Amino acid sequence: MRRHLRSAAIVLVLVVIQATFIPLLGINGVIPDVLILWVVYNGIRRGQVEGVTGGFIVGLLQDLVTTQFFGLAALSKSIAGFLAGYFFNENKTALTLGTYRYLLIVGACSMANNLVYYVIFLLGAEPSGGLTAITLSLSTATYTVAVGSLLMFAFSRMRFA
Amino acid sequence: MLERLYNLILFFKEYAVLTAFLVLSFILMAMNDNAQVKQMRTIATVGLGVLQHQLSFIPRYFRLSEENEILRRMNLQMADEVSRLREAKLQNLRLRESMGLNEVASSPVLAANVVSKNLTMLRNTLTLDIGTAAGVVETMPVVSPEGLVGIVVAASENYAIVNILLNTEFRASAKNQRSRIDGIVSSNGKDVFLKNVAISQDVQVGDPIITSNYSNMFPEGIRIGVVQSVDISPGSMVKRIKLTPGVDFVSLEEVFVVLRTPDPERHSLESRQRP
Repeated sequence: MRRHLRSAAIVLVLVVIQATFIPLLGINGVIPDVLILWVVYNGIRRGQVEGVTGGFIVGLLQDLVTTQFFGLAALSKSIAGFLAGYFFNENKTALTLGTYRYLLIVGACSMANNLVYYVIFLLGAEPSGGLTAITLSLSTATYTVAVGSLLMFAFSRMRFA
Repeated sequence: MLERLYNLILFFKEYAVLTAFLVLSFILMAMNDNAQVKQMRTIATVGLGVLQHQLSFIPRYFRLSEENEILRRMNLQMADEVSRLREAKLQNLRLRESMGLNEVASSPVLAANVVSKNLTMLRNTLTLDIGTAAGVVETMPVVSPEGLVGIVVAASENYAIVNILLNTEFRASAKNQRSRIDGIVSSNGKDVFLKNVAISQDVQVGDPIITSNYSNMFPEGIRIGVVQSVDISPGSMVKRIKLTPGVDFVSLEEVFVVLRTPDPERHSLESRQRP
């Protein structure tokens, strides 16, 4: 119970940060997605079921805040959480989180999350929607991985039960 | 059963949970009213249509037997219709040819169908489906686009009997259209001959034979046939000329009755002069 409350608090803080401060870090309109960092972390630590659930809730909160396409972030982050949970291994949590493996998983899950999000978001919006979606997905995933590297270093110094 | 289902879900719980959240996400997305949702609805409709089209053979498979029965009946009906249409087409062609005959005949003609044939050496008659009610009487000539058929010898209200060219009692004054020599056409029940032609007269194989202007029974110029052979028996003064009739009596189906009777004054005078 305590764990869940702690997770909820972290998520709420991250949502606020994502909505208010992260846009200030934008480079050419591209911003990192700190929420995906938590989703991937949750998936690696807890498995696919919790990863999907966590991803859905995070995405839902993000939709509530952005009010653009309600339900879309919930969809994309559910998929990302599911993918991250695939790498769950009780015995290798520290090894996964504290090394470059975490960055690879963040990159893959971020790419999946962004592709789903932007492909649907740009449906019918412009003729070259596919290309734009890929470009945005790649750039966002790269930026997110760069920010995730800071977290990786933090994880490498932690113990995981 | 439920336990099995529960165990199955438990085994694939990750996918079950993912599916549940995906469905929930789509439901939430569908609540939006924006261009993206409309586009997604369009894609879903098209995709479903394609899938339905590909899988439409499944219910069709179970209705094959019923469909076959329907198709068999339709096939039968169409075959019958095709046959009738073919017949109508042929009749049309025949009648079109006959229309040319109207221009040749100086007298009006009445179309009739051959309802009965008696093509034996003893009889050689036709029965037509028109009679006195339509104005047909005895001694009226009967023709077809191919030539002379015969003469009406009996008529009731709705039917008429015709002695054809092959009838042993049939006679017609005839002329060689090329050499203009005259003769009498008659038959032995099997073949048709041009008689009373002297051996000195010019008749060749292939000469067309027509009704002559000497006949009181038949209009002039109606094709009878062509000369098939010319023989001279030893000691005979006349040629034995065999004709090929222009009309094929076996396949004859439609004829025309020429509404013309012999001139009564001439007929009466000639009758009195006959021995």
